[in-house]
Amino acid sequence: MALLEVRDLHKTFGHGHNAVPAVRGVDLTIDHGETLGLVGESGCGKTTLGRVVVGLQEATGGEIIFDGEPLDGRLARAEYRRRVQMVFQHPAQSLNRRMKIVTTLSEPLRLLKVADPDEIDARIDEVLQLVGLGPIYRPRRPRQLSGGQQQRVAIARALMPNPDLVVLDEPTSSLDQSVRGRIIALLRSIQRERDVAYLFISHDLSTVRRIADRVAVMYLGRIVEMAPTEEIFEDPQHPYTKALLSAVPTMDLDHRAQRIILEGETPSPTDLPTGCSFQDRCSLVHDRCRVEQPLLESLPDGRMAECFAVTA
Amino acid sequence: MSLLEVADITVGVKHNPQTLLREVGLTVEPGEIMGLVGESGSGKTMSSLAIMGLLPAGIEMRKGNVTLEGRDLVDPETGEVSRTASEMTMIFQHPRDALNPTMRVGRQIARVLEINQDLPRSEARNTAVDTLRHVGIPGAARVARAYPHQLSGGMCQRVMIAMALACKPRILIADEPTTALDVTIQAQIFDLIKDLVAETGCGVLFITHDLGAIAEMCDRVTVMYGGQVMETGTLREVFTNPQHPYTKYLFDSVEREVDPRVVEEDVNFALMGCRFGHRCPSAFEACGEFPPLYEVAEAHRSSCFLHRKEESIGAP
Amino acid sequence: MTSPDPDRDFVAPEMSEEAIRLPLWRRKPLLVVGAIILGLYALLAIVGPFFVDDPRVTDPANFYQAPSGDNLFGTDKFGRDVFARAVHAARLDITVGVAIAVSAMVIGSAIGVVSGYFGGWVDEILMRFTDVVLAFPGFVLALILVAAIGNSTMNVVIAVTVAYIPYFIRLTRAQVLAERELEYVDGAKLAGNRPWRVAFRHVLPNSMGPSFVQAALVAGWAILTVAGLAFLGVGIRPPTAEWGVMVAEGAPDIITGQWWTALFPGGMIVAAAMAFQFIGDDLGAETL
Repeated sequence: MALLEVRDLHKTFGHGHNAVPAVRGVDLTIDHGETLGLVGESGCGKTTLGRVVVGLQEATGGEIIFDGEPLDGRLARAEYRRRVQMVFQHPAQSLNRRMKIVTTLSEPLRLLKVADPDEIDARIDEVLQLVGLGPIYRPRRPRQLSGGQQQRVAIARALMPNPDLVVLDEPTSSLDQSVRGRIIALLRSIQRERDVAYLFISHDLSTVRRIADRVAVMYLGRIVEMAPTEEIFEDPQHPYTKALLSAVPTMDLDHRAQRIILEGETPSPTDLPTGCSFQDRCSLVHDRCRVEQPLLESLPDGRMAECFAVTA
Repeated sequence: MSLLEVADITVGVKHNPQTLLREVGLTVEPGEIMGLVGESGSGKTMSSLAIMGLLPAGIEMRKGNVTLEGRDLVDPETGEVSRTASEMTMIFQHPRDALNPTMRVGRQIARVLEINQDLPRSEARNTAVDTLRHVGIPGAARVARAYPHQLSGGMCQRVMIAMALACKPRILIADEPTTALDVTIQAQIFDLIKDLVAETGCGVLFITHDLGAIAEMCDRVTVMYGGQVMETGTLREVFTNPQHPYTKYLFDSVEREVDPRVVEEDVNFALMGCRFGHRCPSAFEACGEFPPLYEVAEAHRSSCFLHRKEESIGAP
Repeated sequence: MTSPDPDRDFVAPEMSEEAIRLPLWRRKPLLVVGAIILGLYALLAIVGPFFVDDPRVTDPANFYQAPSGDNLFGTDKFGRDVFARAVHAARLDITVGVAIAVSAMVIGSAIGVVSGYFGGWVDEILMRFTDVVLAFPGFVLALILVAAIGNSTMNVVIAVTVAYIPYFIRLTRAQVLAERELEYVDGAKLAGNRPWRVAFRHVLPNSMGPSFVQAALVAGWAILTVAGLAFLGVGIRPPTAEWGVMVAEGAPDIITGQWWTALFPGGMIVAAAMAFQFIGDDLGAETL
């Protein structure tokens, strides 16, 4: 049984004419100890999806099923809070700058009542150790730490209640290249040790490739393709995925991939065309795409894509 | 003679002996894209501002030469660079912040044309629309009537490029022009910049932290750390045969498996000698001095005492 | 990044932030001047009263003595030592000014964080209320309040405090609106903080910076307001030793040539208000 199952999830901001549909019917599952990479460009709804999954925002439709139980009611919420946590994009912003590290880390333990008061100190040291920081960091404040160290503390805070799933929203985007690699390696070693599942949200495909087991590609509020990481990078199916992958600059000087340059820009989510939302930028577009919304369907090899040209 | 020659640029905070940039030098040839790469705090943006004569208040240029087509651009009185828009222009990371929010974008480009090419107002307006069309903006006439906040980030960057183009510059400095944009839009902008270079023969100084972008775009590359040029050479030389310990470290950090338990410190620099000295795995006592650029191969230089010919002196 | 290897021959010293920063008096000279003046006042207010005479003791034989070695600031029409009165008044006025600023800040910030963080109809009502209150100049509002509740020293403090509370509500609210969008607020929610705890334990402490600056300014204004009310005869009453009272009592003497009875306390008001203004201005200014 999957750890998390999301069924036909919708999230719309505002009402009436001003309504902005950020997530438009997403289905996905995450298994215990698995990393699902969620990639897409700005405005595709990936962050909103992450915030809904972690419970910072209410879905406007659909279901979230966690560990076999649908998420509703107060009791389930408290339990959910302990088991699903989040790490944010800007390490300097995501820590309370007036609090000592030790206070920030003790809060989840005290407030979520996951540890006895006399255990708290030991738990903090244990998790600090896990993220590579020693007890000397306990009395420090966020501004005394580098960006990478701050992100380690943010990861530690998320790990404090011993969650089963951590939503990582662009956790390495604001870090320097050399620090990025270390944080990815850290996340992987934590996963091996704690068997925690990740929903790893990023616009940076090369980072996702280094950590994800499976990848879901989002475009304008829908998942357009989902497949195991290597398959999606080696042989993308959806025309958007192909263009997205080909646009990533690589350091390899000898094997230059043929670029697919997309025409135009992503349409505004308030003014979506009927049918497939990718139709105006797609090279494979035909009449059916302009009238009917394609659905995420399984291909013979078990991968999933949302495109008539691919699934037909 | 190169199109743009920058040498020995040294920059610091007023009333303070420490330097932010130390003897930075580079050259750009006509029709060439020179990459300037480094992590945050490496001084790559500060270098571009010094070259443009746009140093912020409180920061002074202590010495340095900037010559364009053999002409010295440094004002002997102020010690700062003075240049015209037709010599060098710049595009920035956040194009919307660089545009005037209260003026229609077509008018902003037309103004540049009126000032730089002495076009009469009506002609400038038409040329502005042509320029927008030239940078691949669909419906250029409509976009010309828009205000910056009505346009997407990618569109604003195209407008900035159109405006730069309107000056017909010899040198275009692009400071992280696509960092704030999505990859598919980035690919469009990269194509556009390459097309323009091929078409106008101007030189580009392309500043980025992204090694992949350097590999895509540049002919030659200069690597900076802590306000010091570490290594410079042709793209292939530097990428396939990096010589400086910092460059190797930078490339390694992208691919290499790292030990996640080793905690990153703030990016900081050695005060004396080589700025990488205190982090360098192969530092030795000579590194207390500032290393010059040594020629390590043809068109490939590296600022490290390891390349010094007299191997006997203190190498470990 | 790699940590320095202890076995290496050479480890260069690192560039520290201190190495490139200017000393405080170069970066914020006004702050230093203001702090020095205020320090002197504090010293005067704390230890001064032990060294001077009782400010209420009259000496009818020695009225209107010009400043001299015996009476540094001269004596007034009752023969009271102006210096002794000014020193005692320093204790009262500085205490009152600071007390008003601190209470207005505490109350105003608490209301501001509720208004800004929770929003909704509470916010609407509070904002309309502050709109009304802010329509009056602080001085006029304090005047009306004192007239309504009577002019004991305590009532003056309460009235002036109430007049300045809306400034802090507005300021804190604006700060909270920006602050609550930052990621640590979500982080705090996920750590199990209930909404009130997020507001007061996390958002409020991070929103107080501008309020401290404002408090320094308000302390100066409060001293002016309290003295001004006393001068008009509606604030703290004679024979209390208070700068405004002293100026009010001494003002008529200027015409007859006894300039010292009003000038010295007046000068002390100005210097104290200026010191607070300097500190507030320089704390608020972002300089290198």
